[in-house]
Amino acid sequence: MTALTHLQKLEAESIHIMREVVAETENPVMLYSVGKDSAVMLHLARKAFAPAPPPFPLLHVDTRWKFRAMYTFRDNMAREMGMDLLVHINPEGVEKDINPFTHGSAIHTDVMKTEGLKQALNQYGFDAAFGGARRDEEKSRAKERVFSFRTAQHRWDPKNQRPELWKLYNTRKHKGESIRVFPLSNWTELDIWQYIYLQDIPIVPLYYAAERPVVERDGALIMVDDDRMPLKPGEVPMMRKVRFRTLGCYPLTGAIESQADTLPAIIQEMLLTRTSERQGRVIDHDSAASMEKKKQEGYF
Amino acid sequence: MSTKHLSPEVLNERRLEAVRLRLDGHTVAQTAARAGLSAPTVSAAWKAFREGGWTAVPVRPRGRKTGQGGTLDVAAQQVLCARLTMTPDSGEPAWSSRGLADALSEVGHPVSARAIDHWLEARDLKPEPLALTALARQRSSAGRWYRQQVQPVLEAVRKAGGGVWQGGVRVTGTRSEPASVWPRYQLYLHGKRGVLHTRCLWAPPAAGEYMALFQRLHDLLPDRPTALVFQGAYFQASPEIRRWLEAHPDFYLINVPPGHGTGSTF
Repeated sequence: MTALTHLQKLEAESIHIMREVVAETENPVMLYSVGKDSAVMLHLARKAFAPAPPPFPLLHVDTRWKFRAMYTFRDNMAREMGMDLLVHINPEGVEKDINPFTHGSAIHTDVMKTEGLKQALNQYGFDAAFGGARRDEEKSRAKERVFSFRTAQHRWDPKNQRPELWKLYNTRKHKGESIRVFPLSNWTELDIWQYIYLQDIPIVPLYYAAERPVVERDGALIMVDDDRMPLKPGEVPMMRKVRFRTLGCYPLTGAIESQADTLPAIIQEMLLTRTSERQGRVIDHDSAASMEKKKQEGYF
Repeated sequence: MSTKHLSPEVLNERRLEAVRLRLDGHTVAQTAARAGLSAPTVSAAWKAFREGGWTAVPVRPRGRKTGQGGTLDVAAQQVLCARLTMTPDSGEPAWSSRGLADALSEVGHPVSARAIDHWLEARDLKPEPLALTALARQRSSAGRWYRQQVQPVLEAVRKAGGGVWQGGVRVTGTRSEPASVWPRYQLYLHGKRGVLHTRCLWAPPAAGEYMALFQRLHDLLPDRPTALVFQGAYFQASPEIRRWLEAHPDFYLINVPPGHGTGSTF
């Protein structure tokens, strides 16, 4: 019998986690952010429960500021997968027209993402939510367990985490508590790309380098995805060959200049990179340890 | 068979092959036919081999070695850098090598346009024009774009005796200096016979700079139409430029769509 490759081991671990959650919880959901990690997680979920479809719906917490290509991709994927796709937008945020430009990235993220997620979890009564976070993304994610317990108010206490020795997961929870589960915790960005390549998993085209209209904001290249992007007086966006290592709200997601327009080229680029993909996320630079603070408040 | 069109590398390979064939007993005529060389060249290679061995067979490299030519001194380079960030006074849309050479001569730095050409090339400031005419027969989206949107406009402008330009804006990033000591953004135009006109900027060009450039192109032939095929800018997002174009119906700005203009060829 041949030994498993490292990707096969990661795949097996993720599938084990997903099956464990479905066996131990009552109403799980998979958070679907339309990015590459979500694509891999969805692919693993389909494998874990094949030939039946995964026994949980997909939940997209929408902020109305994602890239247009992401919305198109999301709708196509939901149609092709035959899974229920729940889309939740914080109605209070819509009413107040919360946006990253006039309210800033911190308020926008808090209202549209954190509060939106908490509302959706409460509304549908989900007690477990799969997320595509990985340890190599950011330091607060590095110390978070695979099974991350949240209080009834969805708060995370980093000093009160359960041990996960020998990959044994204690899933017991108090009434009102919920679990955020991260089946891709032990994957790296390179693993994700290799797996996408090997399994031919469809991803949003924004991950591939192409000429796109961008403007520079505080050293980041921000794509002008629609007419809502406010330009400075007289500013003309430049067409530059860029791609995205991570996808979020387009005004808060920086592109990188790249020539990698195929999966092998992206993997080659990954082999040489020494920075986290989240360097392109404006929300991570709001303040020191901003991700940990957001997670304590309920961010995924 | 003439060998003047061959590069030194190819010619040397053939000369060595010719010597090997001669050593194998082939006649000069047979060797010339098989190696793709003229009979005198085969004889010359054979003679060189007999007199100096294998090392004598290759021809000497043509021209001057890199770095042996006249170079711009530091002062001239500083003046050149400063000039490139300005708009030329001569009415040219941007700086040509000739214009830069004249400007430098006026301030006591006589250099040739050719030296400036080399300097621009060494600093990655000499982009190649788009190979537009090669698109006419291409069965691709780029070919269709050229045939449907570019060719008719260019033909109409040329027929009316107007000016046809190509250009673009780009980030020049191969330089070793940090961005603070060298302007990273380059506006460039290719005019008749592909002559380069260029300007460097510290920040991405704003609508005002584009409009000033368009106006200069327009003023070169004020009573005739002008067409500019431009890549690297997203003019659709600029209301100022849209208004300027509406006010100048005889100026045809053709945006190169994404993916059609990366690099010098399609």
